[in-house]
Amino acid sequence: MSLRIEQLSVVYRDADHGLLALDGIDLDLVPGRITALVGESGSGKTTLGKTLMRLLSENAQVNGSILLDGRPILGLSEADFNAWRWSRIAMVFQNGAASLNPVQCILDQVAEPLIVHRGLPKDRACGLAGCSMKALGLPAGLHGRFPHELSGGQIQKALLAMALILDPEVVILDEPTAALDPMTRSFVAGIVSALRPRGKAVLLITHDLELADTLGDTIVVLYLGQVMEVLAAGELFDRPRHPYTLALGRSYPRLDAAKDLGGIRGDAFYRRLHAHPAGNGSAHSHAVSPDSAHENGHAPTGGCLFYPRCTQAVEDCAQAPVALEAAGAGRLRCRRGGIVSRLNLEGVAKRFGPVQALAPTNLTLQAGEVLCLVGETGSGKSTLAMIAAGVLGADQGRRRFEDRDMDKWLRRDYKSLARRIGVVYQNPAEAVSHRLCVADIVAEPLQIHGLLPDPTAIAARVAELLAMVRLPANPEFLRRYPHELNLGAVQRVCLARALALSPSLLVADEPTSALDPSVQAKVLKMILELQIENGLTLLFVTHDIGLARKIADRIAVMHAGALVEIGPATAVLGRPIHPYTRMLVNGAGPAPPAPPSGCASAQRCPDGTKICFHREPERIGSDPLRHAAVCHLDAAGRTQHQPLEGGDR
Amino acid sequence: MHVDPFGKLQSDPWFLSGLGLALLLGLAVMLGPLAAPYDPHDMSFVPLASPSAAHWLGVNDGGMDIFVELLYGLRNTVAFGMAAGGLALVLAALIGMAAAWYGGWADAVFMRLADVLLAIPAVMILIVAAAFFRPVPLSLALLLALLTWPSTAKGIRAQALVVKNRRHILASRQMGASNARIIIRHLVPELFPFYLIAFAAKARMAMFMEATLAFLGLFDPSRKSLGLMISFALKYYYLDIWWNWLLPPVFVLSLLIMAVTFLAVSLEKRFDPRLQEAL
Repeated sequence: MSLRIEQLSVVYRDADHGLLALDGIDLDLVPGRITALVGESGSGKTTLGKTLMRLLSENAQVNGSILLDGRPILGLSEADFNAWRWSRIAMVFQNGAASLNPVQCILDQVAEPLIVHRGLPKDRACGLAGCSMKALGLPAGLHGRFPHELSGGQIQKALLAMALILDPEVVILDEPTAALDPMTRSFVAGIVSALRPRGKAVLLITHDLELADTLGDTIVVLYLGQVMEVLAAGELFDRPRHPYTLALGRSYPRLDAAKDLGGIRGDAFYRRLHAHPAGNGSAHSHAVSPDSAHENGHAPTGGCLFYPRCTQAVEDCAQAPVALEAAGAGRLRCRRGGIVSRLNLEGVAKRFGPVQALAPTNLTLQAGEVLCLVGETGSGKSTLAMIAAGVLGADQGRRRFEDRDMDKWLRRDYKSLARRIGVVYQNPAEAVSHRLCVADIVAEPLQIHGLLPDPTAIAARVAELLAMVRLPANPEFLRRYPHELNLGAVQRVCLARALALSPSLLVADEPTSALDPSVQAKVLKMILELQIENGLTLLFVTHDIGLARKIADRIAVMHAGALVEIGPATAVLGRPIHPYTRMLVNGAGPAPPAPPSGCASAQRCPDGTKICFHREPERIGSDPLRHAAVCHLDAAGRTQHQPLEGGDR
Repeated sequence: MHVDPFGKLQSDPWFLSGLGLALLLGLAVMLGPLAAPYDPHDMSFVPLASPSAAHWLGVNDGGMDIFVELLYGLRNTVAFGMAAGGLALVLAALIGMAAAWYGGWADAVFMRLADVLLAIPAVMILIVAAAFFRPVPLSLALLLALLTWPSTAKGIRAQALVVKNRRHILASRQMGASNARIIIRHLVPELFPFYLIAFAAKARMAMFMEATLAFLGLFDPSRKSLGLMISFALKYYYLDIWWNWLLPPVFVLSLLIMAVTFLAVSLEKRFDPRLQEAL
């Protein structure tokens, strides 16, 4: 009973161009499984739904095949397919109110398929429709209403009832929760997931990524009409493999994530097909940005479609088209095999004299992620960070940076590695030479690497960097020495210096500890922008859990020189596993040792009896005339209170 | 941290008196040839004449004006001291920095060499070399520098080792800076006051050494020198010339050594915080 889509392409034709909406889609809709289709607007989600229903407009040219139980849908005559439409394959349309008839009450409209397809008498049909609507949470009182008298949620339920009324095998839901409040949304989600045990093959088209992640058994990520990635349930946010999926997830306002919304750099393109009047005359596609005025503005993307917006793209990505290949539990279309790992630490350890500062630790940083290292002072955060930056050597273990052996790299070509890693040190005042002025400090890495042609270019870059960290770049400020600045400014100068060479990895040890909240906010925003625009990977050491919550994609918790917990920020802070993490999150330090039971003076009391060590003496009462002491014994040395029965522990 | 290096010096009597003397002697050195009324090698005057308006300090046994001889002798002594001091400092800085920065093998070799040289008395070598090879003064200055760099080099090495592990130098290293860049941009300027002190000490020693060698007659006798003047004056000790012939070179030499010593002491006080507390 499955629906199989093979090599499906859709081109919307106009006079001399074509808009390539779907390109080589291969997809199986399996009974009892929900396939969630996600992607930005214009990625072809709705086109796919409409293609399955054969509801595309005249100018759409469809290639490939859609097989329902092995029988091709596209080859059927209109009359034959009409018999299938709604009875075997039904759809809930986006923008529901518009697809209802405004002059008919909804009961009639929901009953209509029964009358048309099954030939039931009207009263029977209406009875069935009423039952079905009630089952979906529409009380009988609403059945007689017209669409404009219903709320958005009620309309959505009516549409669902209409789509399910003939018990079709394939249900296509186009943005079923788009305009719904959270309560109705979760109700509708409940209805959708109830379709699973009923053996329906569901295609859930949505931009609600959280819904897709929780409801979908399979999640298909569409970009410019191509499937970029196919993921298993629950992987969308926590283990995306494609940079596009990652960026998409970061753009979504999740309920449990505190991190600022990211985004995807650049704009989505449309893919236009056009035939060159000159040349070989064959039709081929170009990515044309939506705002590009000239139709023939060639922005050829022979390679990966996401290439212009991808932060980890290499030259190779633009060359040849990439195939969708099996990866993990799903499939992936990426020349680099998915999100690359930027830094890989395997069993690195460090010992300072008798102190084991860092127990053997594994840590991987993926390209473009922000990993926050949290923990209390002396937990080994800085040691790990400095080993990651290559500033400290590890006693044991292996380090790989951008898939090359880091130690070898450090020995052979220190300089080229230094260009890729920026470091902000913990104590900013120590990390800059007191003999250099601001301009010289920020210019130092630029001078060392000589990538800029002349001092004017360097000065311009310095001004740009200072603007990034919200510092002035006037001549007076540039000539200042570190000791003439406040610590916050020095810290920002350090940050500007670390970013000077546009590193791909920034290791920052408490880079904002000396900043006031307003400047910190701006600086962090700038860093996150770099993450989105340049794919900057950030290893951020902090003891501020609130800060980590706000900027981290992942959080690693360190305690006593060891990594005790690591995971997505939402999981580590929302559902901490390690007791130490729980304490950190709750802001409570380890509990002090319990005070000895019994009388506080018992240890030194000359008259102490057994009871003094077991029971706390009575506190001083409120009687103003009484001479009172906190003691079990009266002046004669007799115990005042009899021990409670069984109270002797 | 960043300090105004000469702020406190302005009220230091050591520095002020040293500076005053140095300026006075410096003026004499600079303007000597212009101020001298006669050629230093002019032997046409009445030998052993007493001081007069024409010859302020009289005439020596060879018929040369003693005042002019004094001016030229001072010039030679100062030049020798500067040259030897400068050469020793450059040598010491190069070796000290290299030993501190590169460590390991370079450090071990240079520092053992320094220990060996410290154990050899420089005066002996210098006297022997001067007597046997009759070198030009500059070669002798170089030899002196080659013999006396170790103490300064050890000091520079110790200072550089402290500075080497400062975080901003580690940061510079992390940024990919070459050894040369770090040494020139960060290490060398960091030790600045130390050079002045070391230079003053070496120059003082070299000046005294020059006077000694000249006194012993190990220099070309035609070369004017304070030491040589003292040596000749002593030969005519039985005449009553001590106040106009013997005393002036002794006095000038003493002033010169004092000037340099005072400057060195005041600088050392200023830049070595431990000394600052002690004094």
